[in-house]
Amino acid sequence: MSSPSQRLTQASGRPESGALLEVEDLHTAFRTPRGRVRAVDGVTFSLDRGRALGIVGESGSGKTVLARTIMGLLVGRNVERTGSVRFEGMELLDRPASDMRDLWGREMAMIFQDPMTSLNPLMRIGKQITEPLRAHLGLSRGDAMATAESLLRDVRIPEAARRLRQYPHELSGGMRQRVMIAIAMACGPTLLFADEPTTALDVTVQSQILDLIGEQRRERNMSVILVTHDLGVVAGHTDDIAVMYGGRLVEKASTVELFANMKMPYTEALLASIPKLEEPSHSRLRTIPGRPPDLVNPPAGCRFAPRCLYVRDRCRTEEPPLLPAEVPGHDFACWYPVGSPEYHERKAELAAGGVAVPVEVGAGGIDAGVSA
Amino acid sequence: MAGTGKAHLSDDGDVLLRVEDLVVEFPVGRTGLVVNAVSGISLDVRTGETLGLVGESGCGKSTTGRAIMQLPRPTSGSVTFEGRQLTTMSTSDMREARTRMQMIFQDPISSLNPRRKVRDIVMEPLNIWKRGTAPERGDVVDRTLEEVGIDPMRAAESQPHQFSGGQCQRISIARSLVLDPSLIICDEPVSALDVSVQAQVLNLLEDLKARHGLTLMFIAHDLAVVKNISDRVAVMYLGKLCEVAPSDELYRIPAHPYTNVLLASIPVPDPSAQPAAVVEVIGEPPSPVLPPAGCRFHPRCSNAQDRCRQEEPQLRSIGPGHFVACHFPVHDGTEAVAVRAPVSSN
Amino acid sequence: MAETLPSITGTTAAIAPVGVAEPTRRRRLPSLGVGFGVLWLATLVILTVFAGNLPFVRLPTQAVNGASNYALGPSSDFWFGSDRLGRDVFARCVYGARISLIIAVSSIVVGLLVGTALGMICGYFRGWIDRFISVFVDALLAFPAIIFAALLVGRAKALRQSEIEVLGFGFGWFNNTWAISAVFSLLAIAPITRIVRAQTLSLSQREYVLAARSLGARTPRVLLREILPNVVPALVSVMFTGVAILLAAEAGLAFLGYSVEPPKASWGLMVTENREFIEEAWWATLFPCVMLFLTVLSFNLIGDRVARRFDVREAAL
Repeated sequence: MSSPSQRLTQASGRPESGALLEVEDLHTAFRTPRGRVRAVDGVTFSLDRGRALGIVGESGSGKTVLARTIMGLLVGRNVERTGSVRFEGMELLDRPASDMRDLWGREMAMIFQDPMTSLNPLMRIGKQITEPLRAHLGLSRGDAMATAESLLRDVRIPEAARRLRQYPHELSGGMRQRVMIAIAMACGPTLLFADEPTTALDVTVQSQILDLIGEQRRERNMSVILVTHDLGVVAGHTDDIAVMYGGRLVEKASTVELFANMKMPYTEALLASIPKLEEPSHSRLRTIPGRPPDLVNPPAGCRFAPRCLYVRDRCRTEEPPLLPAEVPGHDFACWYPVGSPEYHERKAELAAGGVAVPVEVGAGGIDAGVSA
Repeated sequence: MAGTGKAHLSDDGDVLLRVEDLVVEFPVGRTGLVVNAVSGISLDVRTGETLGLVGESGCGKSTTGRAIMQLPRPTSGSVTFEGRQLTTMSTSDMREARTRMQMIFQDPISSLNPRRKVRDIVMEPLNIWKRGTAPERGDVVDRTLEEVGIDPMRAAESQPHQFSGGQCQRISIARSLVLDPSLIICDEPVSALDVSVQAQVLNLLEDLKARHGLTLMFIAHDLAVVKNISDRVAVMYLGKLCEVAPSDELYRIPAHPYTNVLLASIPVPDPSAQPAAVVEVIGEPPSPVLPPAGCRFHPRCSNAQDRCRQEEPQLRSIGPGHFVACHFPVHDGTEAVAVRAPVSSN
Repeated sequence: MAETLPSITGTTAAIAPVGVAEPTRRRRLPSLGVGFGVLWLATLVILTVFAGNLPFVRLPTQAVNGASNYALGPSSDFWFGSDRLGRDVFARCVYGARISLIIAVSSIVVGLLVGTALGMICGYFRGWIDRFISVFVDALLAFPAIIFAALLVGRAKALRQSEIEVLGFGFGWFNNTWAISAVFSLLAIAPITRIVRAQTLSLSQREYVLAARSLGARTPRVLLREILPNVVPALVSVMFTGVAILLAAEAGLAFLGYSVEPPKASWGLMVTENREFIEEAWWATLFPCVMLFLTVLSFNLIGDRVARRFDVREAAL
């Protein structure tokens, strides 16, 4: 019988659809002098082949730790991981790092926020792209260089042949992120993690990079997990969205459903805090008061309760489970979701009290004037 | 993208800051070449208004902000602040003048000295200028810290790394307020922050502006943020001005192709919105060492013509308060409504 | 506005978890080393400072009653035995520590003062003054140290006895201890200048330095308040490792014949004096070597720990 990693990386005969990644009740905790930091606390989701999932949350919500746990990048004696991560049916969590290394690059690849620090400043671009090609695919130097050049063309880098001989500092930030994508694409991964890939980039370049990732995804039938703090970024570039708060998944739905019918007051507040172009200048922005919870001692009940405008006594004592909404595939964890009678009641109270509350976000609520 | 014109400068007496023909160049090593960071821009900021300055990284917007502060002094051009000419001022006069204009920087953590207590950092300006007695200084600092939402008790015993990014930005704001300036130049103050924290800081700036009668110059690359906080917006590209307009008008009828590109690039938090692919910008900005001739935007502009490659357009008026530096603007100010008029990419 | 402000009384932010905590077992090892280092150095300092008052430390320059020519090996009475002139090796080790430490520490202190000043000037002002000082520093680094030593230590006696006066002061005080310290100070200046210059170059680009300038702070205030405090942590670890290096260098110099004047003792001189007789009387060579080894190790252990401590804080930013 072939070894598990061999079985995993046999490229031929990949099914075209079905679940690629299944995460079940995943917990990641760090032992620190202050106590256990429960960065990921019981997360369950699955990702189909060729789909793009956005994981959204503020800093400290556990979104980056979740992505890195799945990739197997977090190991060490102070890290506790429990639960299950199945990739193409294989359990990854109990796999030693040497096995994971076979998967990185070939099956899973990652691009990071800062394209400057994730490229080796002393190595020419060509060498950095060809290295995984030669290590994983066993290509000759010449073949690898030819592949590298075509990869750079794939990611729309002009004068690809010349760029191969350049060093990272000779490229702009956007170009470097394109190179990172080319490196990630080099061995044809089935799953791409993009951790805040555009936060360090200009808006004009940001949309180009996101479009590029989407294009590569469709061409290669690759799955993408896009980690970001900006709901605006994921809206146009993912099929599904998972919202994280305090190490937990608090809402999960297809992108269209989520924006049309969001249930969690947290999701609503995140969206409301984005400045909208179509609103007049000096519009008051909605903010989320307070700060993300301390992951060593998370609050009892709903973790968002201390910052929630619609909080009630039950929220502070009883933690809401992730339950399905009316629409299949839409799950949320809230006792009094957006649209519930209690929500409207509290909203009316708040409005009477003179507290600024955003216009209800729903179908057509925020997009008037944009899609015209 | 010429913007060497001055048609947009107002003649009113209530101009707090007036920048004319500002040029900033940096030498490139010892090659004899220069980076044309800012190539002759003119701006004015009226008392009590917020002027937004928007553009991609490398367009010279931060350099403009710093050149106004004379840090470093610009290569040429004039900066008039509160009726006084800063560019020719002596170093000691300049030191004094800087107390009336303050700056907030992008990186909330790098802009605070990591080895000092937060309260001391906020007190530093008062110590430098020896304002009041020690208890008076303490009062001012505590009051300002409370105003920006930082607990003075905690500030007295904590260093910056014990605060989050958003809180560090509040501390920077407090430091810029204690000398009671009239102008605050905010250099990308929210681009390193999460959206939820960004909203808090933007609201805070609006409140402080109203309470202290401040004038703001708000530099950022995100047009949605700039539009939210500004009364007027100036769009910069490669060291030149493209368009100056009241912010609502700039969004409603953007005239310069580059403004359209910027607007279209902003991710819309709505999956049903039309993909913005209709406005495609070609590549990335060219090097400011050898800027293109003619209009600086022409190599990336989808409707560039021969005239754009040769003749540099001047800023001209196309409506009340609306100025554009383009030979073939998308919009000439006569159409009533043109929401994000698309530039064909073909 | 009030409702939009974050709660400031809340708990501190959840710290970035990755790489913050170390497993408990790995933490203990370096702290054991540091504990040993601190204990050893404290003992050494107490011994050297109070050597004259401690009953068990004999005089270093006199033969012990009835002892001569390595007569005594280590015993309960003569812990480290006696040397070729019958002197108590333990006493000489203690008094030798005094001279060795004075040379190493004073040189580092001078190096730090001058090097920090030069480095900050170079890194902050740059331009011609940086080029000027850097050339001087590079020359200092390139110049063979042994030639300095030969010039200064070798000529110290001649200088002492000469009639040369500077500003009316003669050089009668200029013994070999001074000469060696002078050589080492000069040697310490160059690397410290380079470290401080590099740090200052990057620190002066930080926005808080720009902020201080935009607040109207004068240059000396910017240098002392904003830059110096951030250079100091790096210098603390440089200080510890620097002392360790200079202690070893002193021994090396003594080996080459440039040391304090007998009958004074330094560890290096003791090793050099007694090494010919190592087979008959190993104790006279070994014990100063062990003292030197433990002291250098202690300084290095503490220096490492200090460096790591400040590294973590930088990383936490």
